Amino acid sequence: MKSLKNIPGIPLVLSVLFVLVLASGCERDITVDLPNPEQELVVEGYINPGGPAYVFISRTAEFFAPVDSASLAGYAEKNALVVVSDGIISDTLIAPLPDLGYLYVSTLLTGEVGKTYSLYIRTADGKEATSSSTIMPPVALDSVWFKVQGDLDSLGWMWARLSDPGTPGNAYRWFAKRTNKDDDFITPSGSVFEDKFFNGLSFDLVYNRGELPNSTAEEDENEEDGYYKKGDTVVVKFASITKESFDFWRAAETQSSSNGNPFGSAAPLKSNVQGAIGIWEGFSYTLDTVIAQ
Amino acid sequence: MFSPSLRLKTFWLLAFFLITTISISFAQPKGKHTVSGYVKDQNTGEYLIGANVYIKELLKGTSTNQYGFYSITVEDGNYQLVISFLGYKEQVIPIELNKDIRQNISLVDAAYITKEVVITGEKEDKNIQSTQMGRVEMDVEKIKSLPAFMGEVDILKTIQLMPGVQSAGEGNAGYYVRGGGPDQNLVLLDEAVVYNASHLFGFFSVFNADAVKNVSLIKGGMPAQYGGRLASVLDISMKEGNSKEYHMQGGIGFIASRFTIEGPIKKDTASFIISARRTFIDLFLREPFVKKGSSAEGNSYFFYDLNTKINYRLSDKDRLFISGYFGRDVFSFRGRDSGFGVKVPWGNATGSARWNHLFNDRLFMNTALIFSDYKFSFEAEQEQFEFKLFSGIQDWNAKVDFNYFPSILHNVRFGVNYTYHIFTPSNVSARSGETEFDLGEIVKLYSHEGAVYVNDEWDISEKLAVNVGVRYTHFNQVGPFTRYILNEKREVSDTIEYKSGQSIQMYNNIEPRLSGKYVLGKTSSVKASVTQNYQYIHLASLSSVSLPTDVWVPSSTLVKPQIGWQYALGYFRNFKDNLWETSIEVYYKDMKNQVEYREGAQPDEDIKNNQDNNFVFGEGWSYGAEFFVKKTKGRWNGWVGYTLAWTERKFVDLNDGKIYPAKYDRRHDVSIVLTYELNKKWTFGATWVYATGNSLTLPESRLFLNGPVDLAQLFANGGSTSGQIYYGYGDRNSYRQIPYHRLDISATLKVQKNKKFESSWNFSVFNVYNRYNPYFIYFDDFIDEETGEFRLQAKQVSLFPIIPSVTYNFKF
Repeated sequence: MKSLKNIPGIPLVLSVLFVLVLASGCERDITVDLPNPEQELVVEGYINPGGPAYVFISRTAEFFAPVDSASLAGYAEKNALVVVSDGIISDTLIAPLPDLGYLYVSTLLTGEVGKTYSLYIRTADGKEATSSSTIMPPVALDSVWFKVQGDLDSLGWMWARLSDPGTPGNAYRWFAKRTNKDDDFITPSGSVFEDKFFNGLSFDLVYNRGELPNSTAEEDENEEDGYYKKGDTVVVKFASITKESFDFWRAAETQSSSNGNPFGSAAPLKSNVQGAIGIWEGFSYTLDTVIAQ
Repeated sequence: MFSPSLRLKTFWLLAFFLITTISISFAQPKGKHTVSGYVKDQNTGEYLIGANVYIKELLKGTSTNQYGFYSITVEDGNYQLVISFLGYKEQVIPIELNKDIRQNISLVDAAYITKEVVITGEKEDKNIQSTQMGRVEMDVEKIKSLPAFMGEVDILKTIQLMPGVQSAGEGNAGYYVRGGGPDQNLVLLDEAVVYNASHLFGFFSVFNADAVKNVSLIKGGMPAQYGGRLASVLDISMKEGNSKEYHMQGGIGFIASRFTIEGPIKKDTASFIISARRTFIDLFLREPFVKKGSSAEGNSYFFYDLNTKINYRLSDKDRLFISGYFGRDVFSFRGRDSGFGVKVPWGNATGSARWNHLFNDRLFMNTALIFSDYKFSFEAEQEQFEFKLFSGIQDWNAKVDFNYFPSILHNVRFGVNYTYHIFTPSNVSARSGETEFDLGEIVKLYSHEGAVYVNDEWDISEKLAVNVGVRYTHFNQVGPFTRYILNEKREVSDTIEYKSGQSIQMYNNIEPRLSGKYVLGKTSSVKASVTQNYQYIHLASLSSVSLPTDVWVPSSTLVKPQIGWQYALGYFRNFKDNLWETSIEVYYKDMKNQVEYREGAQPDEDIKNNQDNNFVFGEGWSYGAEFFVKKTKGRWNGWVGYTLAWTERKFVDLNDGKIYPAKYDRRHDVSIVLTYELNKKWTFGATWVYATGNSLTLPESRLFLNGPVDLAQLFANGGSTSGQIYYGYGDRNSYRQIPYHRLDISATLKVQKNKKFESSWNFSVFNVYNRYNPYFIYFDDFIDEETGEFRLQAKQVSLFPIIPSVTYNFKF
């Protein structure tokens, strides 16, 4: 459970305020009456070079409705018609979990760098959604390394050097995963960035270890929170993404950080899917493996 | 159609013509003579602003202007001149008027006379008789006996206790007047514009009460000498400094200490005042008060301000005032392990040099050169990374104001005002090691703003008086400037370069101002006003509250000047020989060309771009009624104010074009202020406020996105991954927080050791019944350990619980 002080985005200033009031017990649960708006379609899909297209389709839920795995299935979209096309081949995606729906995968198409893929969805009750996206060419990092932070013995962050190509319009996303520790790649906050302010430049960047939403892992609560540790084997997945993906994920990160921020304001998502909330993205990536030492 | 340069010339020609024609037409009326002079405090030599001067036989009079000057021209004869001012002993001076008389008057502060003196106070029915409506005068000494948050006497907070003036809430710098935004208030300190009038995000105002003489707020019926903002004027005058003898005063409060020294440079001719204040919270933000490893470690914060003023009486006709203000907030943080360091200083500096000249007994002139500067900067570094941001606004202002008293029936003001604005929108630089990121050149925006005005307070008959004025305003954005043209994808597709001094966009407008009163009987009057205002500079905020990072921008080709019309009607009535003052005022305001950031705008989109490319434009309106009851005299005094109000906005590009309540929409707003003087030693004060909750936008639906997906994991879980929750928002500002209410109390103990040394203790308790007022709401998501369900819970964060404080003040 989050406590106020470690919600991302709370400015440091607030800690001054807390000292000022000499009390931080001024937080309480409240009941908020929210209307129940009409359900909207939620689409999240991607295609990588050499891989099939994956599309996840669900619906928005009433804000305070409790969720367990059974009720979650109720928001998954079953029996939708999902078609991805590269302009030549149109592939109707299949649902590998037909009882659930939700996930749709292409069987004929695989991604190729530079190609544009359109998406068409029609749900069982007739809702339609469309989008299209292009797989950008990959940009490899020059190098990736681990560095101990300050005078901490064995904890540190992941560093990398990027040489941005001279053509403007590049955007990137950083994923990382510790072998044998993380089940999946994790995007730390600030994972997406674009070359608007560094087109054609070479520079170092640094990322802390992100955590999964609602993580209760011990290492996400103690002093290791946010740090990699000596001995970790870390796989960095560095993705080259479209401007639309950048806008979407940045808006999503802004929204996450504005919750719990007294200065924050409502930050809506910026979908690139017409008729739904969500993102359809082509992206390519490179992988680097680093042993922290 | 005029060319821009021709228009500018026309503007100055008109200004020159207006002034010269009025100046040379001041011939002496036949059979009439003038009594004029300055009214000041006998003990300190401070000029008194707004003191009443009237001729008993005619029951007609005037009040002193901002420099303590009055002038009355009437038929020759023998009269009794009555001079009165709140808290001073009234004086009656017989005059024989057969030639022009200079009559300077020194009033004696009632507190200095005897123990049982009856304070006759100001001309008691001033609220009924004045043509001005929507004006609030504050007695600084009175403010000092009210409860003070953490012991810091705060003029801005006290102003917010008046009907029609609403607090933006704890931790928010602004105040809202009659449904207008915080940027629509003009705040003047010795005539210099103060752009950000608060310290520590609005918890404390920049005005050190020890250095302030007079506070006056105009929330409606703005006379023509003021302009440039739609909603209100807060006009604050600094003390001049004691011209008789040296005095020192100071205080130590909960978080800050103050010290003021004042005295004559040359007795009765020149004096000075220096007043300084600094917080000492930073001393407690280190060991041993803050433990190593705690979340507050490495933080430092302080603010300070310095007020200085010198005045010099060059001759009986000429006075010179030089005053300055300098204040800074400095926040810094240095992390022990993260290597992260940040330094954030911001603040105002103002300076004004003013020369008062009396051309003759009926024509008073004030010439001023004024400088105002607001700066914000942010510097952060971590390892090899560096980030710097700075922004601000600077004004160079010159003005000439005339005050002409042709007869007792007229009080004419006219003048010209010119300001050169230099805007610094957010300029950013960043580097990683050797690599400097390309964040564009340093951008500054320039504009000229000018105004010519004339205003007459005219007593048409015994019953009817009007205050009629007109203000002609001019605004011109000039180069150097780069206009970025965006395409449909909001990418820069083209630029237009303007050379230095080149006119980019010009606006000229005429602003009529009219207010009037009609006396119904001895104890009541009706007043009405219609005013139009233009506002050429704008503040749009990316945040939900006003912050020191907010940036001012000029009107441009994209941003049209804001236009405001205000209509107000009021009924004023006094009871029991003016013991009780009551009023009801209703108003309607119409605001065009309002500015907001477009939905989803990100701060970096202002970089290598024009900020106004990210704006959207709309309109607003507000209306309401204000009820006010005040007890003016006696041991018990104070007031009750109640405001019933609505304020709404409509933007084509926000909220799907639907009307929505403004952030400042408050249906009900109540303030109760009481003071009780038990004896010469003890004074008690209490304030209670109630306000409808703030409006805000909340999510109404939620969704999950997987982000990085491991499909093997997904299949193993039968379709469930640890997705991140996201929100779909409801209508803008469609939700209300719970009402805000709070009681504060205070007790002030005066200890008079001897004639020279006087001290007092102020004990205040903030939020007496420990109300959990909402500061902000957020949503916590968690897995319910009992049911295993994922849940969302709304949480309300409150800032200040009950806080007692003690302040010690001394004076010698």
